[in-house]
Amino acid sequence: MVEQTTIRQKAKEIVAREDVRHLIGWRKGTFGYRVSPYWVETPEDAEELIFSPLCSPNLTNYLTLEEKLPLPKGEEPDRRKTALLVKGCDSRAAVQLLAEKGIEREQVVLVGLPCQGVIDQLKLEEKYPEGSSGVNAEWNGETIRFTFPDGEKEFAREEILADDCLSCRYPNPVLADEMLGEEVEAWSDGKNAGVEELEKASVADRWAFWEKEFSRCLRCYACRNVCTMCYCEDCILERLNPNWMFRSVNHSENTAFHIARAFHLVGRCVSCGECERVCPAGIPLGKLNQKLVKEVREQYGFEAGVDPESIPFQASYNPQDQEDFIL
Amino acid sequence: MSESFEPNIVAFLCNWCSYAGADLAGTSRVKYASNVKVIRVMCTGRVNPLFVMNALQQGADGVLISGCHPGDCHYMEGNMYARRRFGLLKELMEFIGVDPRRIHMSWVSASEGGKWKEVVEKVVEDVSEVGPFEQFKRDKINW
Repeated sequence: MVEQTTIRQKAKEIVAREDVRHLIGWRKGTFGYRVSPYWVETPEDAEELIFSPLCSPNLTNYLTLEEKLPLPKGEEPDRRKTALLVKGCDSRAAVQLLAEKGIEREQVVLVGLPCQGVIDQLKLEEKYPEGSSGVNAEWNGETIRFTFPDGEKEFAREEILADDCLSCRYPNPVLADEMLGEEVEAWSDGKNAGVEELEKASVADRWAFWEKEFSRCLRCYACRNVCTMCYCEDCILERLNPNWMFRSVNHSENTAFHIARAFHLVGRCVSCGECERVCPAGIPLGKLNQKLVKEVREQYGFEAGVDPESIPFQASYNPQDQEDFIL
Repeated sequence: MSESFEPNIVAFLCNWCSYAGADLAGTSRVKYASNVKVIRVMCTGRVNPLFVMNALQQGADGVLISGCHPGDCHYMEGNMYARRRFGLLKELMEFIGVDPRRIHMSWVSASEGGKWKEVVEKVVEDVSEVGPFEQFKRDKINW
């Protein structure tokens, strides 16, 4: 548990530094359970920062989203650092970006916040319909306490945590320049990733399950846009020659898109659960990612976002890789 | 569906081993199923998972990827990367509900014309068992 005042104090110190341009954190949203990403430019801004079970957005995404406009002649680029508030999964995303050379270490200041899991908004809405004003939330041991307009309420953590948080193995940041608060103990061994039930089903049943899920896909690509690991400037989804992914929204193309999206994250997904959270159709994308995370860990002994010096999974091989599927 | 279903199989063969192996099978007059449509690539490492998916979308019932044995790759390590890639692609496709018997991978060297015949027969047998793959076919667009 980190006190809000500690975070704000640290943020002030960091933003006041010469070599830091801004700090990205969260602040209270204007509606319901939402929080919004917040750019702290001056020490005074830091007063609005929060860190609560509602802070699900993975801010690492903004490191690669930042637009780099061409500079006027003679002007030097702004080389100051970007500071980021990171939870356990966000820090893994940063580590994976470092391993892939997507960002440079000198470019970022990571402020690590141990996290006890963020909520799944849909699960919470089932219990308590979303109100119109901002809601406060805080961790309280095994429960999460909410302050609604009509009083306080507590819900058990396992009931409202996001699925990816329930099987989280890295609640503490793996890499941080500044660590705040006390480390929390991991509550899961990652064994129960929520895919076992589907794994047991027959192939035809699985196809039927995913056909139903994928049929809702709008192809808005929000899952790709929000993903920290999807930062290619030239994406196959937009490439027209050759045209791998057709724009038409039908079952064949939707399935192909989802296979491609999940496969691009093999050995890279850090299970932050952002794709599932932003999906307007509520497709359980986390299941696809978790399945691959599980296979990569169990069969190849590799885990993404743990070691910034590691070679990316698909850019490396082990001569002893399993090959029992090969004829 | 007609009684005798002839599977349509797309095979991606590496230029240095499997393609030569298939060539050897041909020149040695080895008889094997003609359901396989061979696409020559320079290395199995060249095979993009999108190739597999597009083949299935465009009407293939099964896909075979074949390359050099580990350690024999013309480019030293291309087949090693391919092994990782397609092991996981197979897992993912299976998880989504594509029968694992539709996607195959094999090592066939240039001298293994006999093995090529066996591999093809195994793949044809497997894909025949599962039947045609209509669900994943790309809809024909009539403009």
